[in-house]
Amino acid sequence: MKKIILPLFLMLALTGQAQMKADDVKTFTLKNGMKFLVVEDFSIPNANMYLFYKVGSRNEYQGITGLSHFFEHMMFNGAKKYGPKLFDQTMEFNGGANNAYTTENVTVYTDWFPASASEIIFDMEADRIASLSIDPKMVESERGVVLSERRTGLENSPWRLLSQSVQATAFQEHPYHWPVIGYEDDMKNWTQQDLERYFKTYYAPNNCVVVVSGAIKVDQVKRFAEKYLEPIPAQLAPPLVHIVEPAQTGERRITVKKEVATPYLMIAYHTPESKNEDYYALNILSSVLSSGQSSRLYSALVDKQQLATQIQTDFGDSFDPNLFNFYAVANKDVNETDLENAIYAEIEKIKTNGISETELQKIKNQKLMEFYSQVETINGKSNNIGTYEVFFGDYKKMFNAPANYNKITVADVQNVAKKYFVKSNRTVGILKTNVEN
Amino acid sequence: MEPIKKTILTTCLLVLTHISLSAQSYKLPDYTTFKLSNGLTVYLMEQHDVPVISASAILPAGAIYDNEKAGLASLTATALKHGTKNFTKTKLDEELDFIGADVNTYATKEYAGLSSNFAAKDKVKVLAIIKDLLLNPFFDSAEFNKEKSRLLVMLEQQKESPRSVIGSYFDAFLYGNHPYGNVISGINSTVSKLTVEDLKNFYKTNYKPDNSAISIVGDFNTKDMKAELTSLFSTWEKSTKEKENPATKAISIPTENRVLLVNKNDAKETTFYIGAPGISRNNPDFVAIEVVNTLFGGRFTSMLNDELRVNSGLTYGASSRFSTLKNGGSFVISTFTANKTTEAAIDKALEVMTKLHANGLNEKSLASAKNYVKGQFPPRYETAGQLSGLMTQMFWYNFDKSFIDNFEKNVDGLDLVKANQIIAKYFPKDKFQFIMVGQSAEIKKIAEKYGKVTEVDIKDEQKKAL
Repeated sequence: MKKIILPLFLMLALTGQAQMKADDVKTFTLKNGMKFLVVEDFSIPNANMYLFYKVGSRNEYQGITGLSHFFEHMMFNGAKKYGPKLFDQTMEFNGGANNAYTTENVTVYTDWFPASASEIIFDMEADRIASLSIDPKMVESERGVVLSERRTGLENSPWRLLSQSVQATAFQEHPYHWPVIGYEDDMKNWTQQDLERYFKTYYAPNNCVVVVSGAIKVDQVKRFAEKYLEPIPAQLAPPLVHIVEPAQTGERRITVKKEVATPYLMIAYHTPESKNEDYYALNILSSVLSSGQSSRLYSALVDKQQLATQIQTDFGDSFDPNLFNFYAVANKDVNETDLENAIYAEIEKIKTNGISETELQKIKNQKLMEFYSQVETINGKSNNIGTYEVFFGDYKKMFNAPANYNKITVADVQNVAKKYFVKSNRTVGILKTNVEN
Repeated sequence: MEPIKKTILTTCLLVLTHISLSAQSYKLPDYTTFKLSNGLTVYLMEQHDVPVISASAILPAGAIYDNEKAGLASLTATALKHGTKNFTKTKLDEELDFIGADVNTYATKEYAGLSSNFAAKDKVKVLAIIKDLLLNPFFDSAEFNKEKSRLLVMLEQQKESPRSVIGSYFDAFLYGNHPYGNVISGINSTVSKLTVEDLKNFYKTNYKPDNSAISIVGDFNTKDMKAELTSLFSTWEKSTKEKENPATKAISIPTENRVLLVNKNDAKETTFYIGAPGISRNNPDFVAIEVVNTLFGGRFTSMLNDELRVNSGLTYGASSRFSTLKNGGSFVISTFTANKTTEAAIDKALEVMTKLHANGLNEKSLASAKNYVKGQFPPRYETAGQLSGLMTQMFWYNFDKSFIDNFEKNVDGLDLVKANQIIAKYFPKDKFQFIMVGQSAEIKKIAEKYGKVTEVDIKDEQKKAL
């Protein structure tokens, strides 16, 4: 959000010209293949850098599961110029903060800093991409950290255990089969060689998209990028993930034991990747089902029938075909089978009668508000521009998203419900205290 | 037209760049504030970059007014959305969802709040709804019964996650019978007794304009918005008597180390707090304490995280914080570790505190913390929602824009001598209050090492004043 501190600027803002457009994103690609997307935004004296590496748990295999995420941690543990601890210490000394996240598909590094510190951020990022040093001592202490991360995730949410069980059941061959955090035994056995190979294969400038937003000029970003990042040599393209999950040919069910007040339920249907033509209709379908208290599932199952205390659906971004998930928690004294059947009843209604024009318009309105909130902060800009570039192949799709949602008709939504929400395509997971009867 | 716009843009950017490079000082954008005749304070700030508006309201109706009815303030705030004079609950949900607007109502320890986000073009509709929620809630008994039964299940479900419950155990343990020990979400025995009449009475007593504020930030015209709000909220009747604040009574100070051990039979890790009394929001050293805490446990390279995570791999994260209220506050070190490393982690955390007192800070670390808090300050006030929230906080805790405008100056003014005084004065040395949530069979002996142990089971109802 821009801060109005100059009368001239105020005038400009009042004309409504300050809103963000696709043209406000400037792009260039370095000789080594590293692509940059830049948004100038002088609203606050800060800037950020988001680095999207196209590597995630889908690039792993059994024996090294969790390595992508572990590698994300190791990227903070020292390189040639900025040794152990110095990456964080230097960044914080310069007023910056950072974080990173790993998914099935990507590993994203995020730096947030006063714009005046931009140059040193480029220097530090270049240092760790060019010459990370993987210190065996750091590997050991960091192993304890990720084991704790895994443990605290399981300790604090039953969803963690249930969703990894459902994923493992829904995917029998494709690498979405294992959790991003990895298997505990793999986590205890990653080797130095695994890490070194991973770095060389995936942490190449040509496997990375960089987004910079904030109080810095495009020319300046380009100068820093050329000075610090362009000298890093490109690598061979990483091997393709060639496994395609075979079509599911019958319902799969899994039960998991954990002490909980009432049962937790997940239902997962195989659905296509982000670039597929059904993406927007499926996304709208997810909102129709669970966005807000007037949504189909909340209003029927939580409010009217009181079968559930919580209900949610999720259809996320992915490179390969993934899952459309339903999550529900049973109300007190409700049999989870009744809850499950009630969800199917709501799905059937959409398959048979479709959704209303009003419902469709509601979701389109919500999508526009979502777009506004995505461009309200410099971090929202970088994260979303990068996500669209990486998952949809073009950052411009972010700006087209409201229009793309607008194209969807009620028939499109009904059709994707019919196409994907079929019994043989689903995996059902139940987590409860008593699994013996 | 086109070339002119470009010229303006270039000039602006150049000037702004210059400012951002010479001094990064962040100033609060201009806003207007005024009071209606019924005492309601209003803040208005125009921001035109995105065609959205954020609204926040703050009212003296938090859990400190629950008395024996724990959960009452929170349920009352939630139930504002159960329907009003002009809208049934279903109608409300449909109207707001249709235009992609959010309106949330909630209670914290001290106050009740409303926060909302909507498209600028929908302002008339949403403001009318907000007015209705605050002035004309209906408290439908059928909706109340559903909400209550859901809440009772949710109170049980919270116990599945140590992180969700440790905070309320700590507040009750630290504050004892003081209203700051009240459990916001309530406990089974009090919530199950609540009736819709309780909510109506609580609303009547506590939802009044004269100690409340509303702030609106976003894409609107101040003059029009002022007229709109005046017409919407002037009919709100003010209190007939002076409001008492039950939290002004003295908070008793712990006299020894104490441990509350919360047994969770299936725990694989111990989640713990090491706490002590802290400061109130209006403490004159507020900013200085934030800087010092940044070094101790407020960022990734902090002493705590460096020792417990980076050097030893005992945990995924260790941190510390001061939680501030109007009349008091608390300090906690917060982390978690595997059952078998519980003792090592607690010892290490205490050792870091001992080191802080023994060694103090040095020039380099202080400079780093100052740069960090200054550098991370502007993004805290970047969105309309953040700014409208900030202004209701200014109202509630009685600070003004100088807090924002002078933040850098105040940070810069902290020298090493003062920083070391801050440590001695505000960071606890002893009389620690421990909360350990974990498997008692494995950690009880360890708990006994740190102080007198009170043991409860996570499945039992949480009691006040342990």
